[in-house]
Amino acid sequence: MDWLMWVLALFFMTLGIGIVAPIAGVGGGVLFTPLTMAFYPFSTDFIRGAGLVMAMTSALSSAPHFAKKGLANLRILAPVVIVSIIFSILGGIIGLWVTNAFPQGKSYIKIGLGLILFVVFLVYLFSKRVEFPQIAHIDPISEKLDIHGMWYEPSLNKVVEYRTTNLLYALPAFAGVGFIAGMFGLGAGWANVPVLNLVMGAPLKVATSTSMMIITINDAAACWVYMARGAMLALIIVPSVLGITIGARIGARIAVKSRPKSIKYLVMAIMLFAAIMDIWKGLHGLGLAPPI
Amino acid sequence: MGKNEREIRVDEMGLAFAKTMMIFTVIGIVLMVLPAIAYFMGINQYVPLTEAHKYWRLSANDFWLNVTGRTVTGYSWIFDHLDKTDCLSMIGVLLLMITPLLSMLAAVVKAEDRTYRVLLLIAALEFIASILVKSLVAAASGAKKVVKK
Repeated sequence: MDWLMWVLALFFMTLGIGIVAPIAGVGGGVLFTPLTMAFYPFSTDFIRGAGLVMAMTSALSSAPHFAKKGLANLRILAPVVIVSIIFSILGGIIGLWVTNAFPQGKSYIKIGLGLILFVVFLVYLFSKRVEFPQIAHIDPISEKLDIHGMWYEPSLNKVVEYRTTNLLYALPAFAGVGFIAGMFGLGAGWANVPVLNLVMGAPLKVATSTSMMIITINDAAACWVYMARGAMLALIIVPSVLGITIGARIGARIAVKSRPKSIKYLVMAIMLFAAIMDIWKGLHGLGLAPPI
Repeated sequence: MGKNEREIRVDEMGLAFAKTMMIFTVIGIVLMVLPAIAYFMGINQYVPLTEAHKYWRLSANDFWLNVTGRTVTGYSWIFDHLDKTDCLSMIGVLLLMITPLLSMLAAVVKAEDRTYRVLLLIAALEFIASILVKSLVAAASGAKKVVKK
């Protein structure tokens, strides 16, 4: 019954991730994939497949709620996903090719993921987010597409109307985000939100909600590649999805009452630790570092 | 008095997208979890839990070579074994994977603006192409067989 021990460990880990992620303001996928690669015996193929399904399912569960409130905006999403779908598929194909075509492919993926995680860590550490960005100029394409929206903001007790800009600058960024999401099985909210908020000027709540909607499409597109290669096992996917779903409900309730800074620092420390572990294990796989 | 939550106007296409996504997500999760419970209870498994445990360290290609004697290229490993609980659970995952496409198509139907109808249709076609390309590649390459250990 060794398998049961690992399945239960997976369930409780994702339950924990589900609880702390909303409190820390991060997506579950960004913790799940690196931690599972660092501490669990599963192949990186199955971990990335499960990571994508997990990130996709939690985004699918929350995006409709935000769309109905006017927070997740299809007008922002439509031009963005045309670019990001293509690159998320490419990322998925190249990611699986690397692990299957090279004897040490798994090690390259682990090192790559560790490096990406360092970038994520730095993004969380240094990026400033703006609740209501001021837009001085709307670019001609955004103007032509008439990208706008509104939502009722309870903290202000009024309806906030907004527009976005800089679509041309944002598209290459979304191409990169889609590629990384597909290649490493990450949800990529960590990259979507700063691009939507700081580059396109979407209000923070709109950026986080629309990011959820983008994740549903990008991750679903990348998932097909993993499914077609058999990189999905019910044994790994189901406990992960159940754990994160139950945990996220608990975490969301706690987050409404309080968001202690200590949890954010704890999550960032975990992220950094997982990055170091992934790089170390990757280097060990290449024979460049001793075993941990 | 300012507008309140009831007075905000959300695009029809956005609402159609949200409603479709909500319905199919619930169905997908149920279809994924119920057969998985039977799988964990040991009922009618395609990949026995002990076999999965034995080979889950290997890449997807090597895993399937060792468990079934052939690599997986396409979706037939699911559709040819729908009587098996672990494969049946994947139908729920497949439904979740197709939910964004169904939501985009619902939005295309409801979109009032022609530009967005076209943009969403392109995105939906890209999504369909991603599924077809993988299936065609799988059909062209065929499955590699080895003697099962």
